[in-house]
Amino acid sequence: MESRGPVGLVHQHFELVDRLTVWENVLLGREPRRGWRIDVAAARAQVNELAARHGLAVDPDALVETLPIGIKQRVELLRELEREPAILLLDEPTAVLAPSEIASFFATIVALARRGTAIMVVTHKLAEVIAYASTVSVMRAGKIVAQMQTAQTSVQALAQAMVGGELPPLAQRAATPNAAEPALRARRLSARSEADAIEEFDLEIAPGEIVGIAGVEGNGQTALADALAGTIPHDGTLELRGSRGTIPQDRQREGLVLDWTIAENVLLGRQRSPAFHKGPQIDRGASVAFAQEIIEQFDVRPPRPQAPMRGLSGGNQQKVVVGRALAGEPAFVLAYQPTRGIDVGAAALVQSRLIEARNAGSAILLVSFELDELFALADRIVVLFRGRIAGTFAREGFDRGRIGALMAGGS
Amino acid sequence: MIDFVWLTLIKATPVIYAALGGVLSERSGVINIGLEGMIAIGAFTGVCVSYATGNAQAGAAAGVLAGALLGALLGIAATRFRVEQIVAGTGINLIALGGAAYGLVVVFGQPGASKQVAALGTGGETAMVVAALVLAVLLHLFLFRTRGGLHVRACGENPRAAEVAGIDPLRVRLWATATGGAFAALGGVFLAMAELDLYSDGMSAGRGFIALAAVIFGRWNPLGATGAALFFGAFSALQYTLQRSGIPSELMQALPYVAALVALAGFAGRARAPAADGIPYVPVR
Repeated sequence: MESRGPVGLVHQHFELVDRLTVWENVLLGREPRRGWRIDVAAARAQVNELAARHGLAVDPDALVETLPIGIKQRVELLRELEREPAILLLDEPTAVLAPSEIASFFATIVALARRGTAIMVVTHKLAEVIAYASTVSVMRAGKIVAQMQTAQTSVQALAQAMVGGELPPLAQRAATPNAAEPALRARRLSARSEADAIEEFDLEIAPGEIVGIAGVEGNGQTALADALAGTIPHDGTLELRGSRGTIPQDRQREGLVLDWTIAENVLLGRQRSPAFHKGPQIDRGASVAFAQEIIEQFDVRPPRPQAPMRGLSGGNQQKVVVGRALAGEPAFVLAYQPTRGIDVGAAALVQSRLIEARNAGSAILLVSFELDELFALADRIVVLFRGRIAGTFAREGFDRGRIGALMAGGS
Repeated sequence: MIDFVWLTLIKATPVIYAALGGVLSERSGVINIGLEGMIAIGAFTGVCVSYATGNAQAGAAAGVLAGALLGALLGIAATRFRVEQIVAGTGINLIALGGAAYGLVVVFGQPGASKQVAALGTGGETAMVVAALVLAVLLHLFLFRTRGGLHVRACGENPRAAEVAGIDPLRVRLWATATGGAFAALGGVFLAMAELDLYSDGMSAGRGFIALAAVIFGRWNPLGATGAALFFGAFSALQYTLQRSGIPSELMQALPYVAALVALAGFAGRARAPAADGIPYVPVR
């Protein structure tokens, strides 16, 4: 590998020291000195100058942990820019930004490119590629499979190149009967997770309905999901009829035991069910048969119930998690970012299975940071901002502009 | 009153040294449960070398060096080999305390306590009391005013971010833990060679653990930890003053420890450790 000058890298998950200030983070390792100590005045001036030059306003003395996520990204970007990189790598830079922040973020990046910095963006958001990049390369299984000028391609063509063929259409939505009773009813639900909180949250989900939660990460999604899953305490009332399936937000930490096999993992949550017991013992045959069923339905590879989970790709791991959650037609399904970090093909399959579960009468709560996913799946979208409902949209009335504005705290 | 203040300072000094060592290593991300052992090894080595050479200063220097080596041992275990730090620190305590007890028999031919050796005297005692307070201020300036201190803090909060910025977190942690060991050993030197002139088995008497409490009570801040150590020292001094009051002496001896426990229980919930404290770091490169 060769590059003319330093390479800057902005990580998807920020590499910032939360309990240091902005200037300390930006200049870490290159602090200006006066005698034995750091020249704080010079450091502050240096950061202010850098911020002004790139149009990225920050308060150099702010403690990073107190900053909203968009500003944290700015700090991370400034830290890299301080080194005057010849090449700047951005890894999923818009994953944590509201739609309005995305536009201003790319304005900065495009301006930077005009001034002579080569910029490489790794992303799965095809629309952003088309809107901002000049050339695009498609990678599949570690190889570059296509390279083209953005002006001469389209979102559809890119998606095809990513999958290596036609993407199967999503499952059709069937009309579902109006139910008398909601499957889930939350009244004035308040809860606090480590990451965020919800306050006085009201929600009903009918059988055969997908309710999508739109919002920038950190506005209460984790608290809502954990409260519904029963893993954190909550105030207010929560009524849930019948069984439930859960697709947790972090499949490796909350969903799976990576050192166990597929057959062992699909048993989790059903370990007390008589169907999987023979006397006091676990019925291994039944769990292998159950795993086989999920493997076939979801095209899990490798298709062996005894395969250790750790050896599966992220997409295949997620298929197991989703298959386990949807098996047995649960009355309520909690799906938190069900397609996060998996390839387009696996994502389409997961989305189709969710629609089929809905058609079969499951009530589904879908938390997603991808508006496209919500638009494709949801019957209703609820916008979450700072732990409260900022707006509700029925499928006929989905409005990208208004939802985006509400996500950013507008009205 | 003057007596009480002076006694407080004397009783606090070994805890201050050890607590400063604890602050330094924990700020870099290594929990040092082995402070107790480092106090003991500093005291024992100092006495032995003083015994062999007849030179108290040489003994003190050797004691500090021994503490640094023991600190480096913990540092290497915690960085290079990613050993669970609580286990490694406990191991160091066992090795140091047991080693010193055994060493008494080998070097002095008697268990329980060493012979009397050349010590630092009253002048040395005063100097070391003052030096402890000065060291606290210097460590504070280092941590919060210099580049090196900023790098130590970055490693204790987010070593990955530090590494991205070109700092080697494993080196910083090793250095901080070794230096912290030297600080703790100074506390041992003070106990055995300034307050007294001999090493006796178990003379560290839990001061390393009190120092750990002082680190938390002082919010991982050198001046705060010093204040907490003085608080402990005051209760120790109080215990001496109240010994004539007729309360059973065993009960009185427990007083400083009970005070530390109560203070910690009431306080610990509000204190926030460095985010990466005690978590082994796996470098990218």
